[in-house]
Amino acid sequence: TQDMAEELVVHFEKLLTRVDGLLSAVVTDRDGVVLLKANAPNVTTPFTESTLGCTFALASDQASKLGLKKNKSIVSIYGSYQLVQFNHGSLITTFVAKSEANTGLLLELGTELESVTQVIATALHERHSGTLS
Amino acid sequence: MLKPKLISQVLQQATTGGVKATILLNPEGSLLAFAAQSDRDARVYAAIASNIWTIYSKHCKPEVGPLSTLMLECEEGKVAISMVSTMILCLVARDDVELGILKAKSEALTRHLVEPLSRVAGY
Repeated sequence: TQDMAEELVVHFEKLLTRVDGLLSAVVTDRDGVVLLKANAPNVTTPFTESTLGCTFALASDQASKLGLKKNKSIVSIYGSYQLVQFNHGSLITTFVAKSEANTGLLLELGTELESVTQVIATALHERHSGTLS
Repeated sequence: MLKPKLISQVLQQATTGGVKATILLNPEGSLLAFAAQSDRDARVYAAIASNIWTIYSKHCKPEVGPLSTLMLECEEGKVAISMVSTMILCLVARDDVELGILKAKSEALTRHLVEPLSRVAGY
């Protein structure tokens, strides 16, 4: 499990090099607990990882009441940064990037990552249901 | 002062090609003008859009900058929310509308409305 966690972090760190301006990738649960995070080298962002997850969980629940069925993703663009966030079942994936980064590419990346976060979600579910104990 | 009927006509111009509703609201969620299939839909969209805008505004710090745009993708539709002067503009579209075109329409409406809305912002 430790090896798998390290492999996932390495995988996420490689992803950060695929899109110019992508600074950080974080996977949290809906309560904001960080499961996995990767930062570009020598980069700090002005966001608290746990707050990002909670913000999205709240907003996504609201968005799912619009009558457009379930919310899948939210892009928020600020003066200097953008957040691209995804609902991946019980987990939330957040990309923090510079505002001029390519939002379309970040959205594609999130779709690609869904199968990876599914693996984490499944492992967590199995642990909670006692299958692995 | 603003001419509400004229604003609705301007918003109506965006409700083509799969855009179901175009709404102008204040940050508290009250409707100013809208072009939508029903009053009820417009009120629901406005209330939720302002809630979501308020949630994401909490991230605004000097180093982050102001929130300018939100784009939401749901299973059966897409939404673009942006700031025009002190008001919020919300476009709701079917799922087959690309986010890029929704964003472009939102930006075009913003450019058109920012000057007249800025003039009444002080009242």
